[in-house]
Amino acid sequence: MTSTAVRPGAPSGPVPEAPAPEPAGEPGRSGLAGLLELPVTAWRSVTRSVRRSPGRLTAMGVGLVVLVVVFGVVGTFAVQSKSDTITDLADHREPLTAASQEIYRSLSDADAASANAFLVIGAEPPELRARYDLDIARAGAALAKAASDSEGYADAAAKVDVLSQNLPVYTGIIERARANNLQGFPVGASYLREASNLMRTVILPAAADLYNIDTGRLSAEQDDASGFPWFSAVLLVAVIAALVVTQVYLTRRTNRLLNVGLVVATGAMAVVLLWGAVALIIQSTLVSAGRDDGSHPVDILVRARSAAVQARADELITLVARGDGVTYEDDYKKLGPLLTGYLAQAHELMTGKAAEQIAIAQNTSNTWLQVHKDIRAKDDSGNYGDAVREAVDPTAPDGAAASFAKVDQALVTAIDIGRQNFLDSTSGAGDALTLLAPGVAVLSVIAAGGATIGIRDRLREYR
Amino acid sequence: MIRHRRIAAALVAVALLVAGCGSAGTPVDPAPVGAVRPPEPANVSGADKINAGAASANCDTRSLSPSSAITSGSTMAAIRQRGRLIAGVDQTTYLFGFLNPANGQLEGFDIEIVKQIADAIFGTWVGHVQWTTIPSSERENVLRSHAVDIVVRTYSITCARLNDVDFSSTYYVAGQRLLVPSNSPATSLADLGGKKVCAAKSSTSMAAIQQAPSKPVPVSVSNWSDCLVLLQQGQVEAISTDDVILAGMAKQDPNVQVVGARFTQENYGVGIPKGQDDMVRFVNSVLENVRGSGVWQQNYNAWVAPVLGPAGPPSVSYQ
Repeated sequence: MTSTAVRPGAPSGPVPEAPAPEPAGEPGRSGLAGLLELPVTAWRSVTRSVRRSPGRLTAMGVGLVVLVVVFGVVGTFAVQSKSDTITDLADHREPLTAASQEIYRSLSDADAASANAFLVIGAEPPELRARYDLDIARAGAALAKAASDSEGYADAAAKVDVLSQNLPVYTGIIERARANNLQGFPVGASYLREASNLMRTVILPAAADLYNIDTGRLSAEQDDASGFPWFSAVLLVAVIAALVVTQVYLTRRTNRLLNVGLVVATGAMAVVLLWGAVALIIQSTLVSAGRDDGSHPVDILVRARSAAVQARADELITLVARGDGVTYEDDYKKLGPLLTGYLAQAHELMTGKAAEQIAIAQNTSNTWLQVHKDIRAKDDSGNYGDAVREAVDPTAPDGAAASFAKVDQALVTAIDIGRQNFLDSTSGAGDALTLLAPGVAVLSVIAAGGATIGIRDRLREYR
Repeated sequence: MIRHRRIAAALVAVALLVAGCGSAGTPVDPAPVGAVRPPEPANVSGADKINAGAASANCDTRSLSPSSAITSGSTMAAIRQRGRLIAGVDQTTYLFGFLNPANGQLEGFDIEIVKQIADAIFGTWVGHVQWTTIPSSERENVLRSHAVDIVVRTYSITCARLNDVDFSSTYYVAGQRLLVPSNSPATSLADLGGKKVCAAKSSTSMAAIQQAPSKPVPVSVSNWSDCLVLLQQGQVEAISTDDVILAGMAKQDPNVQVVGARFTQENYGVGIPKGQDDMVRFVNSVLENVRGSGVWQQNYNAWVAPVLGPAGPPSVSYQ
C-alpha cells in the first residue's frame, strides 16, 4: 500500500503538500505560475494512472475510505446533535416554556388576588396577601429564567424587556394602593385600577406573546428532533452502494468471490443502517408521543388555566368597580366559552387520570359559570353585599372562590401529568439514541479499515 | 534575512496601526432603555367633547315646586313596589361619595342625600337602596336608559344637561377652583397655559378648562380620584374642579393644596330621568326637609365643614 500510495499519480499524494515546497524548489520559475500548473499536473497524472489497473484500484480504495470517513463524521455528528436536541428539549426548552406560562399565570393571579383583597372589608386577609406575594415571587423567578434564555431571540428579548421594566412598576402601584387603602382613602381604589390597567394592557399581553414564542420554539425543536436525517441517510446508502459495486467489480476482475475486508466494511455499514433506522424510528415516535400526549395538551390546558384565572380577575374587578365595570364583565363573558372550549379540546386529547382531572375541571367550571350568573343577578338587582360575599367567601363549598380554586387545582394536576408524559416520552427518545453516535463512529472506523485492507490485499497481487 | 526582518517589522507596525484605529470603539450599552411611559389609569384621554355646558348659560334652571304625595301609579309608587331605589353615585370622591375601605360602606354628603330620599319612600333606607357607581361621563346615559332612578353624584345643573335630564332643586352650591402641589406657584388657570390640567370626562369643570383663554392642556379621566393619581405621579400639573371635590383630594394628601378663588358656580342637583315630574317634585320636598330640618347642616358639618369652614344650606326658588 505505502509504495503505491506515494506514487505521483495518487490523488492523496502531492496535492495538499505541493504549494509549500514548489516555489523554493524551483527558484527559476515564478511561484504563481508553478502554483497554477500544479492541479493540472496532478489531474494529468491521476487520469494517466487510473487508466492502469493498480492505479484504478488505489483510486477506488482511497475513494471508499474517504466516503466511509465522511459518512462516519457526518453521521456521528448528526446523531449526536439529534441526541443533544432531545436532551435540550427535556432539560431546557420545555422547562422554559413552563417558566413563561408561569409568568403569565402568576401575574394574572396577582391581578385577581389584589382585586380580591379590595373586596374584603377591613384589614387585608393574610392568605390573600400571601397568595399575592407568592405570585409576584414566582413571576419574578420565572422571568429571570426566561431572560437567560431570550439571548439571541430579538422578539422574545423584547417581551422580556417589557416584563422586566413593568413588573416593578406594577408592584409599586399596588403598594401605593395598599398604603392609601390602609388610611381609608378612596384614591387607593384608583391606584388599584391603574395597576390593573397596566397589567392588562401592557404586562399580560407581553407575557402572552412570550409564552407563544416559547411554545413555538418548543414545537420547532420537536420538529427538529423527530425529523429524518436525510443527508446522512443518503450518504450511508451511497457508501453501501459503493462497497457493493467495488466488490462486484473485484469479483469480476479477480474471480474471487469474497474480499474479507470489504465484506467486513459492508457488514459494519449494514449494521449502522439497521441500528440507525430502528433507533431513529423509535426516537421519532417517542418525540411525537411527547408532543401528542405531553406538550400539545399541556399547551391547551395552560390556555384554559389562563382563561380561568383571567375570568376570575374580571369577576372580582367587576365587583370592585361596582356598576362601572361593564368592560370587565364583557371580558368575562368572552372568557367563559373560551375556557369551556379549551377544556373540551383537552379532554379529547388526554386519557386516564389526566382526563379525570379535566372532567372535574369541566364540571366545576360549569358550576362556577352558574354561580357567576347568580352573582351578577344579585349585584344587578341591588344585593351588592350578597354578591361580594358569594364571590369571595372561600368557605362556601360551591361558591365562586372555591370553584375557581378547584378548577385551577384540577388543571394544575392535569398539566403536571401532561408534563410528566412529555418528559417520559422525550427521555425515552433520548435513550433510543444511546450509544448510536459512538457506534456510528466505531463502525465507520471498522468499515474504513476493512475497505483499506480489502483493497490493499488486491493491490499486493500486482507486485 | 535582514530584509525579511524589516518586512516583518513593517508588517507588525501596520498591524498595530490598524488595530489601534479600528477596534476600540465605544463601550456597548448592554440594556438600552428608551423613554419610559408612565402607567396611567384606564381611559385617560385629552380634550373632551363639550356637552356639559356652564351653569350660567341662559335658561331657567329652577326646578318644579315640591310635593310629598306618593299617589298610586306615580314613579315613587313604582319604586316602592320594586322594593329598592336605584341610585347612581360615585365611590371615588372623598367626602361626597366614596367607599370607606374600613367598613366597605359608601359614605359622604351625596350618599346621605340618597338615604334621605330612600327614607322618605320606604321609611328606612336600610335594605332599600341599590348603589350603582357610575363615571361622570355616564350620568346622562344611565338616566336616559332608566338604569337608575336618581343620580346623586356632584351633578351640576346646567342648561345643556336640562335638555337630556331633569334636575331637583339645588342642594349644594360649589365652585370650580384649582388643586396644585404645595410647591407650585400656580393660583389660577391663567398660570397654567400649556400645562396639563386634569378633570373628569363630560364634567362642567372639563368644559371650563377647555374654554380657558390661557389654553391649558386638558387631561380627562373616568373618575375624580384618577386625577389625584395622575397629580401624585407628576403626570399633570393641576386638577381643576369644584372646591368640595378638591377639598376631598387635599384631605388624602398633605402635599397638595386648593388655591385661587372660585371661578364658576356649580349648583348640585339630583338628576332624574326626563319627564318624571312627580319624582322631581317628590325629591324637592325631601330636599326642602333636608335643608330646613337641620339634616343638611348636620351633614355639612360632618363632611364638608372640617375642610371648607362653616356654611349654611342654599336658598332655592321654584318655577
